Formats: sequence, structure tokens, C-alpha cells
Amino acid sequence: MKLNKLFKSAGLVGSLALGSALSAVAPTAMADQEYLLTVTRPNQLHVIDMSTNKIARTCDIPGPFGSGAMAVSKDGTHAYVLGNNWEDIYGFDIRNCEMTFSAVQSTPTIQVKSFQSVAVSADGKELYTVQNPIKKHRDRFEVMEPRLAVFNIEDGLNAKPVRTFPVDRRITKIAATEKGEVILGGADVKAINPQNGETRVVTKLANWEKGPLWLPPDAFAMHSQGEQANEYIMPYITAKFDSEEWNFETAEWWWGMSRVDLATGEAERMETIPFEFIIFNFITDPRDSNILYGSFNTLSKHDISENKTLAVYEMPHTYYNLNISGDGKTIYVGGTSSDISIHDSDTLEKIGSIQLTGDMTTSDLRVATIRD
Amino acid sequence: MALSNNNSKRAALGTGLLALAGLVSTPVLAQDAQQIIRDRCLACHTETGSAEAPSFSRISEQRKTPEGWLMTINRMTHLRGLELTREEKRALVKHLADTQGLAPEETEGYRYLLEQDTNLVENSIDQGLAETCGRCHSEARFALQRRTEQEWKYLVDFHMGQFPTTELHSLARDRQWYQIASNDTAADLGKRFPLITQEWNNWQKASKSDLMGRWRVTGFVPGKGEFDAWMTAAKTSEGHYDVTLEGLYADGTALNGEGKATVYTGYEWRASLTIDGVKMRQVMAADKQGNSLEGRMFVAAEREIGGELSAVRDQGKAAVVAVQPSYLRAGEPAELTLIGQNLKGDINLGEGVVVEKVLSRADDRITVLAKATGNEGLRTVRVGQAASESALAVYSELARVDVTPANAVTRIGGAGGNLPKVRASYRAVGYSAGADGKPGTEDDLRLGYMPASWSIKPADEVAAHDKDDKYAGSFNAAGIFTPGDAGLNPERKMSANNVGRLTVVATVADGSTQVEGEGSMLVAVQDFVRRVLD
Repeated sequence: MKLNKLFKSAGLVGSLALGSALSAVAPTAMADQEYLLTVTRPNQLHVIDMSTNKIARTCDIPGPFGSGAMAVSKDGTHAYVLGNNWEDIYGFDIRNCEMTFSAVQSTPTIQVKSFQSVAVSADGKELYTVQNPIKKHRDRFEVMEPRLAVFNIEDGLNAKPVRTFPVDRRITKIAATEKGEVILGGADVKAINPQNGETRVVTKLANWEKGPLWLPPDAFAMHSQGEQANEYIMPYITAKFDSEEWNFETAEWWWGMSRVDLATGEAERMETIPFEFIIFNFITDPRDSNILYGSFNTLSKHDISENKTLAVYEMPHTYYNLNISGDGKTIYVGGTSSDISIHDSDTLEKIGSIQLTGDMTTSDLRVATIRD
Repeated sequence: MALSNNNSKRAALGTGLLALAGLVSTPVLAQDAQQIIRDRCLACHTETGSAEAPSFSRISEQRKTPEGWLMTINRMTHLRGLELTREEKRALVKHLADTQGLAPEETEGYRYLLEQDTNLVENSIDQGLAETCGRCHSEARFALQRRTEQEWKYLVDFHMGQFPTTELHSLARDRQWYQIASNDTAADLGKRFPLITQEWNNWQKASKSDLMGRWRVTGFVPGKGEFDAWMTAAKTSEGHYDVTLEGLYADGTALNGEGKATVYTGYEWRASLTIDGVKMRQVMAADKQGNSLEGRMFVAAEREIGGELSAVRDQGKAAVVAVQPSYLRAGEPAELTLIGQNLKGDINLGEGVVVEKVLSRADDRITVLAKATGNEGLRTVRVGQAASESALAVYSELARVDVTPANAVTRIGGAGGNLPKVRASYRAVGYSAGADGKPGTEDDLRLGYMPASWSIKPADEVAAHDKDDKYAGSFNAAGIFTPGDAGLNPERKMSANNVGRLTVVATVADGSTQVEGEGSMLVAVQDFVRRVLD
């Protein structure tokens, strides 16, 4: 199977070299230009041309590394990166590395951290983050209430929040919907109206009412992806026990997810596949919402309509993160180390690699699509 | 006691210093220590109260062990810009541990942490505390602190400020962690471990015995074996001593060391000695009368390599402090060494145990060839007026071997990396089956530490498949396990480090048979965070 695929690609472009096959084929296959974005240590934003799988440009992010979390504007031209140990946000025009936006959230007396949360409104005008402020008294810390901070992107450098609204604790990744809400991934998945602060529950997690034999879900998402399927995924682990003796050995362990359609703001929550190995992130195939891919020590492919794992590819090291081309054919597996591994989404076989200048560690791996 | 005996010379020296010490030492200068706080800490902390009884915000509402205060001061230095000279730091730790320490009873059950003996699985105090605090810390870490409820609350906010992702960890993100920690946990800790306790009030008032003098010491050093020695503590100033240690390992090799000790809180003995070229630390607690010390001695640079240490004060009376080995197989003549002081008179090893021959005899050490007949059981060992109850176990058959530590973590290291390997030292404890004839039951008779041969095997099928036993490290004959080199190993799946999950096997010979015991070991990656207390 692998050989057939190889010969087909090679035959098409008259080359036996796989790397050049990809770079030769891709431009004609894509009308829009896709860029893969990620951050490496010490603190660089890389803009990778997905038609050639080469680094197009590298933008230096001020200050120390943040976590590599980032949001991409809907038009694909700008990326907003969380820097300085989760405290600052820097926006870049990925076409030329010009820094167009910055916000330093902490002050000498208030320490403000954003735990991965950064999102841009669908119209590209507002930037959202959940601030977790801590007051620094002379001899103690005081925990303050978290808040959604809204920035005007037009304010450019040294922007200050134009509105703030109280939100729950423990919110990590967020996303903006096309209807103007911001999805907040915390104990439950909620949505907030960034105009007036009104919130609604999109789908319950910690407070779900699934029955007494189900373990409350452990949901945590460090990474944002899902732009290719226009969705927000919050994966979780749960277990169904066979009795109130809570025997972990005999329980059925499940991966599940809350998946929000960013066009509508509506969510589905379901157990997807049996827990067989650790998956750090999932993405949905943009062509088929039942097909998911997952990465960690393996790259895996799943059909959630049948709760089945279709294929597993053993990776040579841990990859926290993954994303997919808009045509659904190519998977990029990254994070953790300094290489992005490229795979065929049908077979999961490795078809290429991109070497970066530093480790991605926890960084996001996002796709910016600049349309024709 | 012969006057030419070296030990008695040191004893005389010690007595001389005793007289002097009372003259030169003034209380460690509580006022000086308070002045250090005023000079160095008030940029952030606030002083209230009177000049004679000042109160310092965040400081006066806590009590801690010497190590606890050292950690706090280190943190202030590393994170908050505190600048102290070495002398000021020492004086502050001493003052705070003396005036805001823990009573002896308050450290009971948690001394392993102070003794840096962390290869053990704690008996959980409480599920809530285990999940809220114990998921990152040892439970002894917080059980060895006393704070007001408000201070426990401040500690929760400290965690949120200093380690902002605390509430996102596993066992936190699935619950309202901050609310639980700040309300329920802080209140619970305030009740279990409050600032003001009867124990501490009593200990503050209690008269404390100076620990200067001459001590009969027994202990164990991994790779060297059991030893007995004399230790002298000569007072240099209040709570500070020059220490010498001189003795013999069980194989007859000499042991010599000297160094310094500090006594905190009236009973916490901390000494640093160089013993035969190796820097060692002693952590012991004195009993309330100040006549015995119990604890652990370990290699300063490698706290996992250590062993039990105990000392009995020489008060001029006869005492048997240990019998090495502590067991005698019925029917088989064997050498026993009685360790003690001022040992005069007849030797009596208890019912049915015959001294066939006295091989050597001194006032502090008697070696005999002994043979036991009769029933299994513990015997009281007597020399003249001195008696040590249950000092010798007579048994007929070894039935069970326990491996200590039963659970251990070692860590890969070396190979050009910044961190050395973290080894583990093991001992085997033998038991006979007891009256019911079944090993592993409550009536098993503990015989004591026994020589063993050591090996490893993979912990389970996955570990076997990954060849953990091939890569993760190996034992030497002395029961010291050395883990593998740090770094990626291209021979392993995913180029894994030389980590592994192992079963440790001790094999002890007993007559013509062998008895095995097993322990569990995790060979883990490096721990890059250095802490005074885990």
C-alpha cells in the first residue's frame, strides 16, 4: 500500500524523490495558500509554506517564551502569540513579520496570566483572552477573579483592554464563533457574549448528568486547532464503572469530546473511542466530521460513528500536536521536539518532515489560509 | 575504665567544655536575630507588637522545622531578593527553629522527611489532603508545619501566584480547586496543624538537656556495613558543637570522622561530618531527657545513600545498645558482637543461648561465639547490670525476607549531564514464620538485617518487553543500585531514556536453602528541582 502510493506520486511528477514530489505537486493542488504556524524556543514564530513544506519566514517574538499558544485571524494574515510566560500577547503580519499588535497584561502590582486563551473575532477586529490576575501585596499574593479581556486590535502596540467581564476559573483554550460569541473551555464549555458579558452553557462537562456510574470527565486542552473544520474540540477522558465498587480495572475507559461548531456555536458531546493509548490532541478531517486524527506517541485515525480506531502509526518520539491541510489529505504532526512530521491521512505513512531551529515544546500548530 | 583509653580522654575534654559553655554562651541572641529580621525583611514584612515581643507579618504566624525555615529563607533569597550573609542566615534559621519550631511529638510519624529518607509510600492522612497537597508534595511536607488558618489560606494564594497552573493540574482541573483549597483545605489544615498547640507550649517550657558529651553510636553505612563508634560533642557555643566519631565497621575496618553539629529547637540534632573522606550528614532527634538520639546518617551529596543511626549518652552507667547481628539460628554456632558501654560482669544471652567462647572483650564491645537451643523468640541480652530487651532473636528457619525500601525511585543521570545518578541502597530484613508457621502474618518474628545477594527483574510484561532490566541499571554486591546513563538510548523504543520499572530481588541464604524477598523500583528521569524537603 505504501509502495503503491509512493509510485503514484512519483509517477505523477516524474520524480522518485518524495520531498520534491510534494513540493512540485502541491502548488497546483491548492487555490488558496496555506501556512503552518508554530513557535519554537527560544521564541520564534515560524511561517511554513504548506505548498513547499519549507519555512517561508521566521518572526522574532519579544521577550521570553510564553507557551506557543496562538490565534490566527480569519483571513489568515495575522497571528497573535502568547509570550512572556503567558503574560504578553504579540500580533504579527505573517506575510512580513511586522509586529502589529502587543499587549502587556501584568503591572508591577498585578500579575496577569492567560492560560493558553487567545482568540480573534471572526471579523478580525477584536482579540480575546481570559486573564487570571493575582494581586502582589508586599508580603503575600491575593487571588483575584478571572475575567475575559477584550482588546481592539486596531489599538496596535501597547493595547489595553477595552472591556472586561468576569468568567469562571480554570479556563484554558477559547475560540471565537462566527456569531460573535467566545467559547470558553473550563470546567464546562460555556460561551460568552463579549459585548455584554452574558454567558450560556454550551455543553456541560464537570457538571454533566450522565449517571452515577460514569467518572466525571477529566477535560483539559492546551492546544487550539480545528480551524480546518471550523470547530473547537475539548477532549476528555471518562470511565463507565460496572458497579459502585468503582473498580478501575473493570471499568470501560473512553475518550470523549465536546465539539463546538464555530459557525453556529452549537456543540455535541460524546464518547468517541475506547481509551487504548494516550492522545494529546484530536483534529477532525475537514471532509468528514466522523473521521478524527490524534497524536502523542502515535498518530492515529478514528471513525467515531463506529467508535473505532482505523489506523495507528507509531511515532519515533512524542508529538503533542497535529493539524491538517484544508483538503484533508496531509497531516502535520508537531510539538514537543524540533521536527514536524508529515503524513498521508489515508495511510498515516510518513511522507516528509520539516526541521525547525528549536523545540516547539507546548506550542500550537495552526494553519493560516490566505485566500486568493 | 582505663584512663589511657582514648575515649575517656575525649570524655574529659567534653566535660571541661561543659563547664565553660555555661559561661560563654548567651541565648542565641534573640534580639540579634530579631534585628536581622528588622534590617533584612521589613522591606516586605510588617512589624507589629512591642519591642520586647515583636510580631512580624507572615513570619510570626508559622512554626516549622529547621529545614522548613531554611527552605523559606532560601525562597526569599531566590525569588524575593532577600540578601543575607551566611552568618545571618544561620542565625535566622536557628532563631526561628528555636522559637517557632515543632515540639518533638509534632514531628512524630514524619521524621523520614527530615531524615531525607524519601523512598517510602506514605500512609495517607486523608484523601482530601492527599489530592490537594499530596499530589505534588510529600504529606510530611505540610504535616511538619504549623500555621494559623489565615496563614494556610495565604499559602494557597502563594501557590496560585507562584505556580499559576496549580489549578489546572490533574486532580485540580476536574474540581473547583482554588475554592476547595482556600476554604476547605486551609480550614482543615488549620485544625490539624494549628499554630498554637499544647505540645508546643509544653515544649517551650520544658527544660532541655544540653547534648554535649560522649555518645555510644551504632549505625549503618551503605557499602561499608554496620558500625559502632564513640561520638563526642564538644560545645563551642549555645547549640553548636564540634563532633568527632571514631569506631569500627563490622568487618573490622576503622571509621573516623569529625565535623560540626547544631541542635535546633532543643532536640533536633543536625551534624555535618567528614568520615574517612566522605561528607556525611546526621539528622537525629533527642529524646526528651536528652539521653538518646535516633535518626539517620547519609552521604551529604547523595541523601539516598544512608542508614539508621542511634546514639546513647555515656552517663557512666552500663548499657547494652545493640547486638550485631541481631539473630542467631538455633543449633548453629555464630559470632555475636555486643555493643555497649561500661560493660562489666557476666554475659547472659537469654534462655537457651550459650556463650561457647568469648572471642574479645572490652568495656564497650564484646564478641562471643554463641549457640542457641530451645524455642524461637526474642531474648534479653545482659552484661552484668546492663540489659537490653528483645536484643537477640533466636530462630530455627528463615521464612520471609522483606526488602527495604519496599518501594524506591532511582534516577538516571551522569553521562555528561548536569545531574548525577540517583542511586538507592537496599537492605534485607529476615523473619521467621512465628507460632502459626505461616510467613507474612502478624506473628512473624523479625530477626533483623541479613546479608543478601541482589538482583533485578522486569516488573511486568511491558517492562520485560522493553527490556527495562537490561537498560535501567544494576546492583553491586553491597545492595546499592546504580541506574543507567542519562540521555536518549537509540537502542530503545522511541529512543527512550534508560528508565524502567523493576522488581528488586534479595536472596538470603539460610542453612542449605535460600529465601527471596521482593521490592519495587522505578528508575525515573532526572529531577531538575532541588529542594531542602520534598
